[in-house]
Amino acid sequence: MSETSQLSPTEVEKPVKVKRKRKRPIGFYLAGSWIALIVLLALFGWMLPAPSWDQSFYDSLGVHPFHHSHILGTTLDGYDMFAGLVNGARLSVLVSLSSVLIGGAIGTFIGVTSAYFRGKVDMLVTMAFNVMLSIPNLVLSLALLSVLAYSDENHPATITRRVSVLILSLTIVIIPILGRIARGATLQWSSREFVLASKSMGTKNFTIIRKHILPNVAPAILAIGFLAIGSVIIVEGSLAILGIGVPGGASWGSMLANGRGNIAYSPWEVYLPAGAIALTVISCNWFGDYVRTSLDKRESKI
Amino acid sequence: MSVRFATPRGNLKAVNDVTIELLAGESLGVVGESGSGKTVLSRATMGLLPGTATRTGTITYQGQDISNMPKDEVRELWGTGMAMIFQDPMTALNPVRRIGSQLTESLTVRLGMNKKDAKEKAIELLKRVRIPDPEAMLRKFPYQLSGGMRQRIMIAIAVSCEPELLFADEPTTALDVTVQAQVLELLTELRKEANMAMILVTHDLGVVAGHTDKIAVMYAGDVVEYAPTRQLFANMKMPYTEALLKSIPRLETPTGSRLPVIEGRLPDPTKDEPGCPFANRCPYVTDKCRAEKPPLTDGGNNHFYRCWFPIGGVK
Repeated sequence: MSETSQLSPTEVEKPVKVKRKRKRPIGFYLAGSWIALIVLLALFGWMLPAPSWDQSFYDSLGVHPFHHSHILGTTLDGYDMFAGLVNGARLSVLVSLSSVLIGGAIGTFIGVTSAYFRGKVDMLVTMAFNVMLSIPNLVLSLALLSVLAYSDENHPATITRRVSVLILSLTIVIIPILGRIARGATLQWSSREFVLASKSMGTKNFTIIRKHILPNVAPAILAIGFLAIGSVIIVEGSLAILGIGVPGGASWGSMLANGRGNIAYSPWEVYLPAGAIALTVISCNWFGDYVRTSLDKRESKI
Repeated sequence: MSVRFATPRGNLKAVNDVTIELLAGESLGVVGESGSGKTVLSRATMGLLPGTATRTGTITYQGQDISNMPKDEVRELWGTGMAMIFQDPMTALNPVRRIGSQLTESLTVRLGMNKKDAKEKAIELLKRVRIPDPEAMLRKFPYQLSGGMRQRIMIAIAVSCEPELLFADEPTTALDVTVQAQVLELLTELRKEANMAMILVTHDLGVVAGHTDKIAVMYAGDVVEYAPTRQLFANMKMPYTEALLKSIPRLETPTGSRLPVIEGRLPDPTKDEPGCPFANRCPYVTDKCRAEKPPLTDGGNNHFYRCWFPIGGVK
């Protein structure tokens, strides 16, 4: 490099710009387009010319996929599969995104600040995270759901209430997962000399966190966040199959739960929502993986 | 000033009763081997010690005792009053942020400049540290730069708020020799331009020789010799200083001869042993040295040393 050896600023060679071609794996594009499709369906699915998802068509019970009026068939009870999947996408995206975003924000805040300032608070936070992590995700959200959204024949819980409790319980599950990642990454970065250097210039602690710690910690959280979206969708499905998620086929898991008994007569009732869950989870994992590996490359360059 | 660290093996004495004084525009070299307390001394003076450390004694800055000041008020001094250049320019810059944003950070945060002014000031600073094409430099990431370039950036950041006192903690240790000379030259120039005081911490007597007004030699947390630079080199009293100087390779020595080294290691800083801490490694050691620790003695001409039997005898 010309800059390294010269003291005088008189002659400067302009560095030749080398265009780098970034090769991304094909899985990245597949996963990305699937996630984009799901998000688009969730946002604008109601505009599609499809039958209503909660209307039973008594004249066409359990029709095959590729039927002229029901493109993905209907359930044995006459509900349109395509409309159900689109509506399920809305709920899955709502539940997984909001719980990961809220939980991630809270977890990151707690993890980063406690690791930055250390001390007794950090010890307590770590203990709390470990306790929460020692309870299996499913059991924790199951317990929260059955307490907070209790319902029987006399006191039926509304769907809104169930969905919000579902989001709340999954948020609580996410907080320690991302919080611990944030804490670990902060411990590593806050001991770097540039933090001390910035401190020695009189920068306030929260400015240091915002400008020096967060940009370094964010990629790790992003990568794990994508993985977390995948696992939240799975937990949501599992809860529905256990009968305490969102009832009435309003989510993919709930469609799966309803169609379970009909697998011998109309197997698409199970395959379609299960496939949607599987593809979405795999896409999230691939995407998260891609974020992580591209990060590793950048790390090694530094 | 003294500094102690709480460690699992007991209290670690990092700095013992060190007294130094620096006037505006003056530069002091702090010399000693690894572990002698040089870095701790400079960080303690600024107040940048980790939570396990306790500092005793007083630090007077411009007539004001800052040793017991609340943290928020001390922070006001950081950057604008005292600033520090760190040893390793590879780790002292944030790898994911551009040079420009790191350089303007303290300008906007501390001096309240707006973005445009800060950018202009940053370009001026880069010119002052002799960086070619400063506008392009603002957009670069640290990994695109060499060690010498990064150290220049660190210097630019440190002097950005025009501090009165600059701590340079082994600023050239991570650099190769030709770049070392350039960086030292630059520091001296900046210091003279701004009438800034500087504390240059290093393990290399050769580094401080041409760039400081006075030198404090540290050993095991003690200042063992403290004198104006010329005086020290002309008339050194302390066997440790002499040994340090001898261990620098020279061109005049015949080929094939062994480089003199200082045998042995630093004493355990967690133990309180009687006698001179250098006794076990000193070529002139006597029984008195092993029994009793020598006090800091005034040898005249602002020359202080901590030895029972100084080279050249007692005046």
